[in-house]
Amino acid sequence: MAAPSYGLIATFDTVPGIYHAAEQVRDAGYKHWDCITPLPIHGLDKAMGVKRSIVPRISLAGGITGFCTGMSMIWFTDKFDYPLLVGGKPYFSPMFAFPVSYELTILFTAFATIGGMFFLNGLPMHYHPVLKYGQIRRGMDDQLFIVIEARDPRFNLANTKALLEQAGGKDIKELEA
Amino acid sequence: MSTPAASASTPLPVASAPASPANKALVIGIAGLALTALGLVVSPDKHGVALSYLVGITYWTAITIGMLLLVLIHHIVDASWSVVIRRQWEHWLSAFKWLFVLFLPLLAYAWINPGFVWPWMDLGHELHGHGTVGADVLYQKKAGFLNKNMFTGMTLAFFASWVWLSARLRKASFTQDADGDVKWTLMNRKSAAMGLPIAALTLTFAAIFWVKSLEYHWFSTMYGVWFFANCVRGALSISVLIMLWLWARGDFKGGVLTTYHLYSIGQLVFAFTVFWAYVTFSQYFLIWNANVPEETFWYNLREVNHDGSPNQWKYVGMLILFGHFFVPFLYLLSYKHKVVHSKIRPIVCWILAIILVDMCYNILPALKDEHGDSLPFLSINLLWVIASVIGVGGICVWAYLGSFPTSKLIPIRDPRIAESLDSHGL
Repeated sequence: MAAPSYGLIATFDTVPGIYHAAEQVRDAGYKHWDCITPLPIHGLDKAMGVKRSIVPRISLAGGITGFCTGMSMIWFTDKFDYPLLVGGKPYFSPMFAFPVSYELTILFTAFATIGGMFFLNGLPMHYHPVLKYGQIRRGMDDQLFIVIEARDPRFNLANTKALLEQAGGKDIKELEA
Repeated sequence: MSTPAASASTPLPVASAPASPANKALVIGIAGLALTALGLVVSPDKHGVALSYLVGITYWTAITIGMLLLVLIHHIVDASWSVVIRRQWEHWLSAFKWLFVLFLPLLAYAWINPGFVWPWMDLGHELHGHGTVGADVLYQKKAGFLNKNMFTGMTLAFFASWVWLSARLRKASFTQDADGDVKWTLMNRKSAAMGLPIAALTLTFAAIFWVKSLEYHWFSTMYGVWFFANCVRGALSISVLIMLWLWARGDFKGGVLTTYHLYSIGQLVFAFTVFWAYVTFSQYFLIWNANVPEETFWYNLREVNHDGSPNQWKYVGMLILFGHFFVPFLYLLSYKHKVVHSKIRPIVCWILAIILVDMCYNILPALKDEHGDSLPFLSINLLWVIASVIGVGGICVWAYLGSFPTSKLIPIRDPRIAESLDSHGL
């Protein structure tokens, strides 16, 4: 095969099988790899060594931005740019700026959460090299796969293949890039 | 996970609470009540002692109502994760009858010495600067609702409905441990459908009669909701402490309590932090914005003296704004702070303390000096507040611990117990 390889794919038949294999791949120190399963497997993220997502931090940043936007917008319009006396109230008070700031906090948090999630997971993704693999559709039905990418610094065709075999993977194939 | 729940052949042992903590709680409770009673004898400001006791009893009744609401909400939404903790809520409900007993002195005072606790009960009570209660048009207009017969009848009805609902929910749940019949779950769901409106109305009117009526001139449509938010927040905080206690004792180890349970209840504590702030802010904001004297006076009492100088309640208000909302809100944003035992324990203790301050803020400024200014927050009355909170709290904990050994640790035959034990969520 002349084209550079995307990585290796191994097939598993059972949930415990892929779970324990994932632990072995994790312990071998691989970073660029994934499990393809037709059903959610509780605890698989832990077995894969996946850390908690950083989306909440992006949400927090969005929330803080929203709150500050609300407060400064009302301060700018009502006190700085065009001072207007309404109902004997001060030109600016956090009291009446609060409902707007609060709504903007929620809005910007929602935008940041959705946007951050799409940014991090790379969706929508119209093409992925594993789609070239003939058996991949069974990953939506009755089989489980582990894919280890060639760009992983620990990737070595022979050694990685041996690791997957030892972990119980069957039908180990090289994927076209 | 081994599921002791699924099979009746391997039931969990009946939870055993050593008798000594219950007795200790009883002794502490009686000591606190005795100190409050002593305060009534020795203190020159007997009205202050009475209102301090009102703080204590309202605080713990609020938390117990919160427990009732949690059980009702659990059943009405057919929740699964909360099955493991529901039994502890049910145990806590046994405190209602004792809270009623502890409320009786206040009811007795309403008849023996009207006006001693709630000034409006004495029609001859002198209002600062404008005649007596009986001659006050705002009282006359509200007298159909605000009178001693209504107060007594309603208070009896509140406790009757809470005790009755609690007994119904507890009996069905405890009986299911023995026979495993799903009809008890269905019966509790019906109790919940009926009980939620009852609980919502009773807690609203209780807050109005017991607390809000101290300043009967006032208007606020948010008051019942404010009280509800504190009820549930307090109950959730106590639930977290109970979960951590049962974990430390070992009962909840070995696959009973998962991180997800703590995460779920932590999320609810967080949600009610925001809800409390939403309601409390709305009340303040609407009154601030409308600027009508019949409404603003309530906040003025809590901010300035008659000469315009700030009083202590202004800073208590600030403490509540930051301590009741901003601090717990920012702290509980973090996932770790909800699930690590040593991280969630301090914040729920803090929330329980600040709810008490909130109760003081709503009750104690009704004590006034000769100028009509509110008496300061930092005073000897705080001693009576603490004494009565410990006193009534001790009795509640004693009632909880007394109920604890009478049933299994978790509802082992609840249809959703296996699901609850297996909740991992994320």
